[in-house]
Amino acid sequence: MIILNICSLVIWLFLIPFCIGLVALPFLGKQRRRPGVALIAGYIFQFALLELVGIPVVIYGVYNGYSRFIKIYTPVIVFFALLGIWVLLCSRKKGEGWFLSGKGKDGVWAFPEMSTEGKILTALFLLLVLFQMYMAFTRASFDGDDAYFGVQAVVAQQLDSLYRVNPYTGRSAPLDVRHALALFPIWEAYIGTLSGLHATVVCHSVIPLVLIPFTYLLYYQIGSVLFQKKKELLPLFLVLIALWQLFGNISVYTTETFFLTRTWQGKSFAGNVVIPAVIWIFLLLYDHSKEKGLWILLGALNLAGGASSSLAVLLSCLMSVGFGFLFLISKKEFGILVRSAFACISGGLYVVLYLLLTHGMLGV
Amino acid sequence: MFGIFMESLVILKLYTGLKLLLFLTFLLWVYLLVREKERRNRVMFVYAPLIILVLFLFPLSRKVFVAAGLDPETYYRILWTIPMGMITVYGFCRLFEGHRRIGAVIGAALIGLCGSYVYQSDYISKAENRYHIPDTVIEICDLIEPENAAARVSAVMPPELIHFVRQYSARIHMPYGREMLVQRWAYYNAVYEAMEGSEILDLEKLLEATREEYCQYIVLSPGRECRQEPAACGLELVGEVDGYRIYLDPVTQEIVDSWQEYYEDDE
Repeated sequence: MIILNICSLVIWLFLIPFCIGLVALPFLGKQRRRPGVALIAGYIFQFALLELVGIPVVIYGVYNGYSRFIKIYTPVIVFFALLGIWVLLCSRKKGEGWFLSGKGKDGVWAFPEMSTEGKILTALFLLLVLFQMYMAFTRASFDGDDAYFGVQAVVAQQLDSLYRVNPYTGRSAPLDVRHALALFPIWEAYIGTLSGLHATVVCHSVIPLVLIPFTYLLYYQIGSVLFQKKKELLPLFLVLIALWQLFGNISVYTTETFFLTRTWQGKSFAGNVVIPAVIWIFLLLYDHSKEKGLWILLGALNLAGGASSSLAVLLSCLMSVGFGFLFLISKKEFGILVRSAFACISGGLYVVLYLLLTHGMLGV
Repeated sequence: MFGIFMESLVILKLYTGLKLLLFLTFLLWVYLLVREKERRNRVMFVYAPLIILVLFLFPLSRKVFVAAGLDPETYYRILWTIPMGMITVYGFCRLFEGHRRIGAVIGAALIGLCGSYVYQSDYISKAENRYHIPDTVIEICDLIEPENAAARVSAVMPPELIHFVRQYSARIHMPYGREMLVQRWAYYNAVYEAMEGSEILDLEKLLEATREEYCQYIVLSPGRECRQEPAACGLELVGEVDGYRIYLDPVTQEIVDSWQEYYEDDE
């Protein structure tokens, strides 16, 4: 049974998002057509789809919302995963040979070619990541917000209801409009249902094992951009970032504290995945502002952030426009600001919907 | 306006904890300000963080934030957009790019000394199971959870268990939950008042309140004293888990059973 659970988790947490991410690769520059980028893109698209499919179900599915959501969301993501596989096969036929072109040109892929010092630092980095994953699995971290967000996942799974039950007491309640658009707990319940696991087990024991390495994958991408011309600095960057996460608990409010003590909560995803992803995309956009794939990713990210929290959408959109404006000044390229603004349309619609709901202007 | 500015300053202070790690970030930010030549990195790690900080402290920003219907208590999350870790670590890498080994040692030592180890928190303990909730809660829930998957039970729980019960089973309702434990939210709940209002529990008063709420079970902490004998009040002890006593109120149970029968007949 456990083996089946694990296989199922691998399919829904790695394979499906990875295949979805393949869809984005033809729109990205050749040097970015890598497995890591595909996985990141896959997660971004997966959460954007989660919002697109989930929000109407949450708003209008008064009864049996969760089972309806599963029936619609599953074929959608499977379709995109198949589309990704098809895109990959087409690229092979064309002889583009993705995932091979970059071998040996950066970081971990070039492990055998690294200096001894680079190898030691890379090994140290991997040990630090493994240590954090081990601690996440074997240590329980108490957080009061779990009584809200964790329970929303359990309610979805056990009562087939989406944000229409008071998680604290269990009483029926009107739609919780303040949180109803942030579907991260529902996604966790969904992963649990498909893998035959209780939502709380998924939140506390499974998700950290995925999101911790995933966040470092994002940092690896950021480091690869920052040290494109000085690759020997990448292992040092990664080791120090991993240490920073371990010792960044200077208050209960920092993203580092959220990262390792509340990994499974949407707000941690906002601070540790959505915001670094915006930074990664803009680091790339500075030199590749014409690359369509990056703008598509940014547009999807500005919606995907909504799965974690409404504030995440606002922050990622503000960052997009802000960086767009700074790039305009720095590069004297007006198009960047315009494209940044366009990339915020999805997030902007989300914010409008949030305001309509919270101000009672949309009957639900 | 000055008041709002001061409030934002306090939020900043709480966020950073005024720990040395903040000072380290500041030093490396200054280093990047002076030495970083690449325009892209200057924009991302020098100018943008400064602008965000100024906007964060600017009183109008907070007004707009609240006016947009966002929770004022989450205003600190604007600071998440300042990548302190990236600024510091990137600064380190640039500073020691010619002496990477020394840089690794000094960087690791400074981060370790100036920071605070995340697993030292009082809120972290060894996980008892894959749910990461206490075994005691699981045993209590298994004891009171109805066999019929469509049925629900209601139980009043001691404060230390409240957060966990519904993380295990959403089929167990509670007359009050975490909302009563957060003092600043200042909610009122009659069952909570009866359960936690006095050191020695007045069971008759509690039963009056729980029956109003159709709550079948009462769970008492180890050593919790009662003014009356539970049996004398008509309560049945259904089990004891790690010192927690679980009582069933047969009067409420009968009422709830009658609803159950009614709904089953209806179906």
